[in-house]
Amino acid sequence: MQDYKTEHPFDIAMSEEQQMTWDMLRKFAETEMRPIARDAEAAGRPSDELLGKMKNLDLISLGIPEAYGGMEIAQDATSQALALEALAYGDLSLAMSLSLPMLTAKIITEHGSEEQKKELLKQYCDGSMFHVGLGINNSSIMGNASNSTVSVDESGEELILNGIKTGIAFADEATSFLISATSESGESNLYVLDKDTEGLEITSKEFMGLKGLPLSEINLSNCKIKTSQKLGGHNYSINFQELLDSSRIGMSAMALGVCQAVLDYVVPYTNERVAFDEPISNRQSVAFLVADMAIEIEAMRLMVYKAAALKDIGADFHKQASLTHRFAAHHGMKIGTDGVQLLGGHGFTHEHPVELWYRNLRAIGIFEAGAGV
Amino acid sequence: MIHPLLPNQLQKTQETMRMAAEFILRPISRKYDKAEHEPPVEMEQLNQAAAAQKEKGMGDDSVKSMDLKGRNLWAVISLEQMCWGDVGLFLARPGTGLGNAAISAVGNPDQKSKWGKRWASMAITEPGAGSDSKNISTSAVLDGNEWVINGEKIYVTDGDRCDCVVVWATLNKAMGKTAIRSFIVEKGTPGFSVARLEKKLGIRASDTATLIFDNCRIPRENLLGGKEEVEMDADAAKKSFGGAMQTFDNTRPMVAGMAIGLGQAALDMTRALLAEEGYEDNFGASMGQQTAIQYELEMLEAELEAARLLVYKSAWMMDNKMPNSKEASMGKAKAGRIGNKISLKCVEICSMQGFSEDHLLEKFSRDSKILDIFEGTQQIQQLIVARQVLGKSSSELK
Repeated sequence: MQDYKTEHPFDIAMSEEQQMTWDMLRKFAETEMRPIARDAEAAGRPSDELLGKMKNLDLISLGIPEAYGGMEIAQDATSQALALEALAYGDLSLAMSLSLPMLTAKIITEHGSEEQKKELLKQYCDGSMFHVGLGINNSSIMGNASNSTVSVDESGEELILNGIKTGIAFADEATSFLISATSESGESNLYVLDKDTEGLEITSKEFMGLKGLPLSEINLSNCKIKTSQKLGGHNYSINFQELLDSSRIGMSAMALGVCQAVLDYVVPYTNERVAFDEPISNRQSVAFLVADMAIEIEAMRLMVYKAAALKDIGADFHKQASLTHRFAAHHGMKIGTDGVQLLGGHGFTHEHPVELWYRNLRAIGIFEAGAGV
Repeated sequence: MIHPLLPNQLQKTQETMRMAAEFILRPISRKYDKAEHEPPVEMEQLNQAAAAQKEKGMGDDSVKSMDLKGRNLWAVISLEQMCWGDVGLFLARPGTGLGNAAISAVGNPDQKSKWGKRWASMAITEPGAGSDSKNISTSAVLDGNEWVINGEKIYVTDGDRCDCVVVWATLNKAMGKTAIRSFIVEKGTPGFSVARLEKKLGIRASDTATLIFDNCRIPRENLLGGKEEVEMDADAAKKSFGGAMQTFDNTRPMVAGMAIGLGQAALDMTRALLAEEGYEDNFGASMGQQTAIQYELEMLEAELEAARLLVYKSAWMMDNKMPNSKEASMGKAKAGRIGNKISLKCVEICSMQGFSEDHLLEKFSRDSKILDIFEGTQQIQQLIVARQVLGKSSSELK
């Protein structure tokens, strides 16, 4: 029944370095992101000022090899999960405008061919964030995430892609796209498409949440690309499930950050809000909702930690990532809806952030590859 | 370093305990579920076998060489596996009861050496006071060099088969919780009798007794922790009841661990029955690609894993001497409700086979209910967590 091997004792304390980074990012989330979350929703994108500040956190270039201008500081999955949680505490849309280029750069670093890395990674280190649009989200309902709604025909001299991808962030700023497509054999891989590829059409889309991010749909009709445009080169084969699993840990960590924001908001609110001559939190029906929120958040945190820790020791983490993602989707939404409930009618209005968190938490379990570890 | 994973040695402990659960407890599970109130003699044999192994140096002494700051995580893991076998039988294992936890937590050295190795049950609940333990009526009055105990205690696990009982009694009921103390009463003391045994929904292998104390006189030194007189100083008084309640911070992770073991047992048995009909898991697949059973089992598995990590954390905190009252209640709340939910859902999933006494699933679903009740009900755990999270006193949040 032994699932994994490790000599290290059970532990849940952050390392000194993790704590420092966490404190710094959490403060950034609270002071730089949270106050402008509503503005970003209204504008449909983060302000240039915030993007500049996020760029200066150097989280994107951190893992990029020095050869391509990065810092080449390998980050373990646990530390990355902590960073994502801390950022999402500010605002999920704004956090994803950083976590998406982080994830895209990471995927290219891990899987790109020499040529692709040279072409795409350098720009990140030169300060660009959105030159590559990541297209993983499917448009179909019934299919698995690992089966793309874009098909790729690899039989000829050129590769031919057909289908629809959705939920692609900052497509307007992208000069190329990294799109997942599934071949006839059922294998999914990533393909780099120039924005001006013939047959590639971008349509801007609105969603119920993540409104601080510009999101689009991409329609590919008979898009022809060179075999070398397959990520990693024409013979490369990506472990697509592992990529999904890693990003599901990332999205779960983001859910955790948002849920913690909800809890930290409803505790003072229910303690201060008076009804029937006493704080509403003096009533068990209110207090128990808060207690359950705290319980599930702590559980979610440990689930995220364990999934990341399994990845860090090189063990199989598919099951744990799946369970964590399922847990974060289910309880994240429960916490989102309870957050609104606890504020009553006030929670339903834009006067408080809980309705925003409610809409954003609905993305958890749905939006694939918005962050990764 | 964030590493909520079990080191190899603890995983070996898991394996050893699982083997014992599978080959010693499981085969007699149904027998003692049917033969309620019959002491499971095999459990005594299990103890003897373990003692003999220890003498030969073959026992699970690996814990001593482990890099552990304490033994609580080890204990939770062991218990989880034993209760994967059978919760009722585990509770009926002679030698250790909840009273032992109290003695080791608050007993003085003399008490520990005299009573530490005896089987001690714990008597708190009364017909008129359950979760509201500060409202107990059983009285203790000092008369010369003896305490005189009077009252009735119910739902005492191991109450019939134990060697002694840790009894909660009040020195003066009018003084409320400040006057509550615990006392060690030995079996056979005149005035102490077992009035009856309960017939129960589950954990039938374990005896649950009603105890009567009728002018029962015990030695003065059997007062367990706390002062002989009621403290007038509010702080000292608070501490004294708080001390008694602290025992729960230690025992709740254990009981929560039992619920985890039972939940895992139900999931494992469900999968085994489903496998006979060709079932396979499909973790991480979309809703459109999962059957209702695959979806349900994945969610239950996620809930169980989440509860397990909460419980491990609360035990790890004990090992590291961190206050864990909130976390112990979080783990107990989550594990208690999830163990019950899983076991009931597994019966439903397995349909008539689940409902049938041909398999143990129905038994797990009966056994599981008590784990969300004793050692603090679901609602008491929520209350404790809520007070801590909201920063409220017991008078503000009742």
